[in-house]
Amino acid sequence: MFLELKNITKTFGPTIANDNVSFGLNKGEILAVIGENGAGKTTIMKILYGLNQADAGEIFMNGEKINIQSVQDAIAHGIGMVQQHFMLFNDYTVTENIVYGKEPAKSGFFDRKKARGIVQNLSSEYGLHIDPDLQVEECSVGMRQRIEILKVLYQDADIIIFDEPTAVLVPQEIDELLKTLKHLASLGKTIIIITHKLQEVMDVADRAVVMRKGQYVGERKICETDIKELSCLMVGKGIAARKIPKKTPGDKVLEVQDLYYESEGVPIIKGLSLHIQEGEIVGLAGVSGNGQTELIQCLTGLLHASKGKIELNGQDISQKGVREIRDTGCAHIPEDRYDFGCAVNADLEETALMGYEHQPVFSAHGIMNKRHSREFTMELLKKYSVKYSDIRDRAGALSGGNIQKLIVAREVEHQSKFLIAAEPTRGVDIGAQEFIHDQLVKKRNSGDGILLVSSELSEVLSLSDRVYVIYDGQIRGEFDRDQVDAEKAGYLMMGGHDEQV
Amino acid sequence: MNTNLLAVIINSTIRSTTPVLLAALGSAICSQVGVFNIALEGQILIGSFVGIVVNYYTGNVYVAVLCSVLAGAAISSLVSILQVKYRAADMVIGTSVNLLVSGLTSVLLYTILGVKGSFSNPALKPLPKIAIPVVKDIFFVGRVLEHLTFIDYLSYILAAAMFVYLYRTVQGFHVQSVGKNKEAAGSMGIKGLKIQMIAVLVSGALCGLGGAVLSMGQVTLFSENMSSGRGYIAMAAASMGQNQPILIIVSSLFFGFCQAIGVSLQNVIPSQLTLTIPYIATIIALSAFGNKKLKKK
Amino acid sequence: MNKFKSYIKQFAKIMIQPVVATLLGLLVGAVFILLSKENPIVIYRNMFEKSFFDPYYLTQTLTRATPIIICGIATAAAWRAGYINIGVEGQMITGAFAATIVAIYVPLPGFLLLPLSIVIGMIAGGLYASLVAVLNMKFNSSIVICTLMLNYVANYIASYLVSYPFKDHSGDGLSLMTKTIPKSTRFLQFSSSNTLNFGIILAVIVTILFYFMERKTVFGYESKMTGLNPGFARYGGVFERKVMLKTMALSGAIAAVAGICEIFGTKYRYTDNMFTSTSYAWTGLMAALIANLHPIGILAVSIFLSGLQVGGQAIQRSSSIPLQMSTVIQSSITLFVSAKLGMDFLKRRKLKKRQENGGVETS
Repeated sequence: MFLELKNITKTFGPTIANDNVSFGLNKGEILAVIGENGAGKTTIMKILYGLNQADAGEIFMNGEKINIQSVQDAIAHGIGMVQQHFMLFNDYTVTENIVYGKEPAKSGFFDRKKARGIVQNLSSEYGLHIDPDLQVEECSVGMRQRIEILKVLYQDADIIIFDEPTAVLVPQEIDELLKTLKHLASLGKTIIIITHKLQEVMDVADRAVVMRKGQYVGERKICETDIKELSCLMVGKGIAARKIPKKTPGDKVLEVQDLYYESEGVPIIKGLSLHIQEGEIVGLAGVSGNGQTELIQCLTGLLHASKGKIELNGQDISQKGVREIRDTGCAHIPEDRYDFGCAVNADLEETALMGYEHQPVFSAHGIMNKRHSREFTMELLKKYSVKYSDIRDRAGALSGGNIQKLIVAREVEHQSKFLIAAEPTRGVDIGAQEFIHDQLVKKRNSGDGILLVSSELSEVLSLSDRVYVIYDGQIRGEFDRDQVDAEKAGYLMMGGHDEQV
Repeated sequence: MNTNLLAVIINSTIRSTTPVLLAALGSAICSQVGVFNIALEGQILIGSFVGIVVNYYTGNVYVAVLCSVLAGAAISSLVSILQVKYRAADMVIGTSVNLLVSGLTSVLLYTILGVKGSFSNPALKPLPKIAIPVVKDIFFVGRVLEHLTFIDYLSYILAAAMFVYLYRTVQGFHVQSVGKNKEAAGSMGIKGLKIQMIAVLVSGALCGLGGAVLSMGQVTLFSENMSSGRGYIAMAAASMGQNQPILIIVSSLFFGFCQAIGVSLQNVIPSQLTLTIPYIATIIALSAFGNKKLKKK
Repeated sequence: MNKFKSYIKQFAKIMIQPVVATLLGLLVGAVFILLSKENPIVIYRNMFEKSFFDPYYLTQTLTRATPIIICGIATAAAWRAGYINIGVEGQMITGAFAATIVAIYVPLPGFLLLPLSIVIGMIAGGLYASLVAVLNMKFNSSIVICTLMLNYVANYIASYLVSYPFKDHSGDGLSLMTKTIPKSTRFLQFSSSNTLNFGIILAVIVTILFYFMERKTVFGYESKMTGLNPGFARYGGVFERKVMLKTMALSGAIAAVAGICEIFGTKYRYTDNMFTSTSYAWTGLMAALIANLHPIGILAVSIFLSGLQVGGQAIQRSSSIPLQMSTVIQSSITLFVSAKLGMDFLKRRKLKKRQENGGVETS
């Protein structure tokens, strides 16, 4: 084996990101490392690239143990990584970006002419077309990726890791990239590709290693397997669904028709339609990064869609502002609790009040009713068993799980007809998870509509009355709860196409 | 237009520009590495003060200038350590440093030099004015280049040097990259924090130099708070010049011009109103060139 | 009893930083005093006697503290929402000058004229500050720089106005000042033997109103959240633009009141440079920084700083210590507090990072 990872373990606080993972790499092969969100794929590759240090385990190259403590070490061993978020300088040219860190120089002065020549040679040698004089800002995403690849090749990498490389590319660019990967392999480079898009894995990889929840699950030779088997390995067997009594859903609470959203010219939501009725939990299954964030922000008014209709409780909210939408009957558990869900230095009462402060119960003529808000806060804290030491504590003093409980409490107790729950149990312990799930079901039973957006497939499948699968900014499937299982959903989540559709 | 008047105005512009130009270069180097340093005002003021004190006690204007530079750097080390290394709030540290220098210089003015308000003394040595042989007698040009000190010339050389360093050398390329994308720079092993801390010290030195020419160039005295907001005007000049040294020369000259115009209009318009010109110009410039790189707050 | 105990604990937690910083600042002052060949203990004792422990000097301290307190509150009003307003001086000048002119030239009886002057003054100060907010909203120009520039502009324009159109030509005509405001508009003075007047009551009222606004109004809540986490405020439906405008206007209006207290309570006319030479706005800023923007803290710290200044002034006659010593002490205290704030900030970031990593790692 060219490269071997043995017994790699990595924890972040209470979370085990990599649990005793071992696998190997053959020279000149294209290995796909696949799994859902949270599987631990990026973590272990970051360890290989020196961005993280493993708590336990060893790395061997050609049979000899190697020590990777930093990115410089990794580069010195011929390992390069093209990350999901490009590490480029937008204001610099393609050439400048590629030679950064190892610039050709003449007595301290940057020899840009020589650099240009080197870059052009490199570009033609590997068949990676770039324009050496363009500013990165003006480059397409596809070209930016090629710049990252050339960066890595300039540093003489033999092993190149790609983290979700096609996440940001349009179909033509994806084809280009896959051709490039095959070409690089044919020139003797060894490629690792982290991805959740199984069709691409089938098209380009030689082998696939499957990870789930931080553990190594298995591996297959691509010629001996298919998408169904791989997606099965990735998501595991079905999860025992909750016993939720069937409810006949009522009127439409939310209707989204043909939604389009573009960011800086790049389409992110591409004609998405869905609806949610009273008294149901609708799950949106998908690997994060497929447009969920933007969809939620369009629904809540933090972003405005470019095209399409959004109706909440019968009212058109597509261009409305956040407060108006909230008042129309929409509550929102945000996917990032620290960025949007709270302010770490606000106290618990202030945290509980956000979004309510102008309502008659809590304020009259601009003056707040402290007694009511204090009572309300205490009620929330008690009802949701939030652990805190003093009512005047900062929100930041609470553990992640407890803050999440408070946020969930706040949004659920809004008694709004529609609730968006985005990653509601991310980073939360089992007990709290159960509790939050109970609250969501309770709300659903009381006749409200919930959109559950989660990258945890098991969560979506166990709670939802209906499930949509989102992939690449579109709905790829719509099912009732008894029509779908992890295998089917997983397949669609990873880009598979439903033959029946 | 009276050519003599024109020459006088240009000359006056050049003289008013120098402290702003130096401080703006200091602001630019901080912004280039991604540090928001608002202690420029204090850095200039301490330079002005220390220069005069050292001048008085040593009788040597060059030693005084050197001490001004060191003083500016020394005070900026507070920003470098507290703000850059320990991540204290930039506004708070910068404002505190400015207030500290203001108070400190006023106190030391009395403690060391025994006066209040301002200090002037025949024993103080002014910066020598450079008279270039032959050139000084050329019609118009001679008038324009009258009464300039070596620091006035040096400021343009420093601007050019900074430009060459940042835009032509490998090291300068790395320095700039820290401000553009610290994460990306770090991913290739460039030590962003160290570069940021050093940049702040450099800005301190440049401001100290600006302070020296302020108190020992056109006049030879120190008066309380004589920096008069130049630190902030310099920030605006740097921003207008997109933090690029050659463009900053232009934007600084603009502010110097505003000041010079104010002086020349003093016969026509009451001085109090002409004195507002550079400040109003700064506000208008900031609005017109609302640079998204400058922090919103 | 437990509730009381927790109040004390909380209070102690907030106070410990400024107290430590104050002690350190006094230490720095002591060093300077030693350098001037005087005894720090003697000097400090005299300073505190001549500022707090002598009834006459106490009234001086409180009179001087009045504009400082209000400037501190004005500063805090903006900073707590995340808007770095360092133009309180200019806003104070604008508002106070406007109020003074109204009081001098509008023919109305005192009981109408006084409130009118105050209102006009507050509007003027508020508008002056909102101007910066508008520039920031439309052109993204820096609030810090613009507010500071406007300090100079306001001072110079007032200087012009007081040298020409509004100059008081009675007397020797050498001083640049306006006429005096009518007796009917002047604040009630408590005793003829000192300068203490209604202004100090007004300062306390402003502090209490601000405290109330902060804690008990929707506006106070929304502006605080905007300052703590703009993303959170946006997510909750807060209108950021409205908050910015209102906050800056409020800040400017309060600043105007500070200047009005000084003129209507003590000086009775606008004199050239009266606010820049006394540095009320900057001292108020320092008080706000030292007290970490807490209104009651600002009240206390302002009185303390005022006492330092008054005491400093008093002892400079009996010793070789210049009165600017108090400026050094107070700036040192401010810097020490800022430094401590930095350490705090770092600790909080570490805590947040730890919590983040406890969450799910994507992929």
